[in-house]
Amino acid sequence: MALNQYSGISPKGDLLLLQMLSAKLYNRSFLHINSTRAGGGVAEILQRMIPIIVELGINARWEVIEGDSRFFDITKKIHNALQGRLEKITDDMWQYHYEVNRRNVERLNLEADAVLIHDPQPAPLIEFRKDGRWIWRCHIDLSNPQQEVSDYLCRYGEKYDAAIFSVAKFARAMAIDEFIIPPSIDPISEKNRELTDEEINETLNKFQIPTDRPVILQVSRFDRFKDPIGVIKAYRMVKKYNDCILILAGSPATDDPEGEIVLNEVREDAANDPDIYILLLPPFSDRDINALQRIATVVLQKSLKEGFGLTVSEAMWKGKPVMGGAVGGIPLQIVHGVTGFLIHSVEGAAFRIRQFLNNPEMLKKMGEHAREYVRKNFLITRQIRDYLSVWYAIENKGKGILEL
Amino acid sequence: MGEIVEPFEFKQCISILKSTGKRAKKLRELRDVIATVSDECIFHHTCQYFLKGHILEYTSDFAHWAGESLEEKALAEQLSNIDPYDFKNIGDLRKELLGVIDDYLKRFPEPREAMPGDEFFFNETVTLIFPIGIRARNLAEFLTAIKYVDSGSIYYHFYEARIRLGGGIDDFSRWIEDAFDKKELAERIKAIDPFMHNTEGIREHVVEAIEEEVRKDMEVI
Repeated sequence: MALNQYSGISPKGDLLLLQMLSAKLYNRSFLHINSTRAGGGVAEILQRMIPIIVELGINARWEVIEGDSRFFDITKKIHNALQGRLEKITDDMWQYHYEVNRRNVERLNLEADAVLIHDPQPAPLIEFRKDGRWIWRCHIDLSNPQQEVSDYLCRYGEKYDAAIFSVAKFARAMAIDEFIIPPSIDPISEKNRELTDEEINETLNKFQIPTDRPVILQVSRFDRFKDPIGVIKAYRMVKKYNDCILILAGSPATDDPEGEIVLNEVREDAANDPDIYILLLPPFSDRDINALQRIATVVLQKSLKEGFGLTVSEAMWKGKPVMGGAVGGIPLQIVHGVTGFLIHSVEGAAFRIRQFLNNPEMLKKMGEHAREYVRKNFLITRQIRDYLSVWYAIENKGKGILEL
Repeated sequence: MGEIVEPFEFKQCISILKSTGKRAKKLRELRDVIATVSDECIFHHTCQYFLKGHILEYTSDFAHWAGESLEEKALAEQLSNIDPYDFKNIGDLRKELLGVIDDYLKRFPEPREAMPGDEFFFNETVTLIFPIGIRARNLAEFLTAIKYVDSGSIYYHFYEARIRLGGGIDDFSRWIEDAFDKKELAERIKAIDPFMHNTEGIREHVVEAIEEEVRKDMEVI
């Protein structure tokens, strides 16, 4: 059974509750719909999650809506507007958004006992519900949306039985139940599983990374919101006191013209410092990322704006305390002073790095706390547990306490 | 033959967070929402604080927010001093919270606002309670079990029980007293301050007390 792979890793209670809930929901159907089969965090988690739910005896299916470039241009704008960027979504655009969903209904089988619709792209499908419980799962940061756009979308949202957000501050005042379920990482995936020394050395050799000095690492896209220039500044401040190397690892952002500009800025700023490694990782570099996180002494996620920032949990799972910007979902993962440090400036980042490099005991202890915190809160089994709990709770509407 | 003892059945609870959609960016707003939100919401931000597994300087989400986001340290201390398990019902706890905030507002009428994004978000929970398939028939079995169970089980039997049973009683001490008539041991467990520990700390103290008792029972001379 798929769940067996998690025993000894995930909390016992989570696995037990998963079994109990799946016994209650045995043989019932659970449909997930999003807008892409590959790429992005939602597809990544669904790929791992659906087989586990099936193994639990629930008929889980995953469908993807299809759309043309006009549709995805519109949904990209909706996405940006929900994250606070100024975009104009005209009536025509909303109508096309609805129309593409209507066309998808002709080819999708929407019959299921529970339907989980991911993000705004397929949100209008609610208009075509047949039966079952319908839940809208919003992965986007809605804390500061363009009001008009979020209001329009909420008209669909309020027709669902419930909504799910990743962080409490993303939730809105709606007339339906709103659950808070953070995303998760899969501890047995290529990105997070234990690696052998040989596998780690392979990555070190590939990128010619020395191991004679402490390694500071940030894994992220080359994007201004991830503040790579700030990371280099912090590294330089640390370098005056502690010899160390810096690795900035990320995928080249081919679909983002600004990515190229930021990358060039980073390269220029790093100048010819031989101790700064800028690694452009192709897609599917999960094992290399895993290895880099494992060889790192300290990990940074110096974001200025962030969705959830699961790279934080990935590093924490490898026993590394993370210093992260206090934005998006990062404060949920970093308990300041316990599982890492929340930082608010370049100086703060530099100071915390020096603290870690000079206190190996503190580094080790916080790293242990970090791993344990992820084990309890951010593993995939917890997320599946929560999805099934929400489904079960909706079926027992009104009860705050449910005894199984 | 000894008497047949009612076994201790270990349970666990897991809570799924639910947003109320309400938020506060200043102390007056916090006060006004506390006055009207559901009992479940007050329960979550006070009693369930201990489910978090780590206790920092505070003992409730309200105190934490006052200290960290408003930087009103004195208010945070006063709110931290409210023991949510000391009240007969949530209504009384709510009154106490409001009393402390109102007093503070009289003395300091214009406390600062929280930074955007750092507002207080009011949540409640749906709690699922389930047996974890572990039963203890004597103290030795109990000792093995309590070292093994998840911290959610410790929370259920030590913290949540106080609300369920009232009067500051937890499931562990009640069972020990009812099943074995070990009043002293029961008192010792009852006396562990729920306020000063996280669930792991509670586990350590309970283990210590039971271990000592089991050792005492074993020693014949």
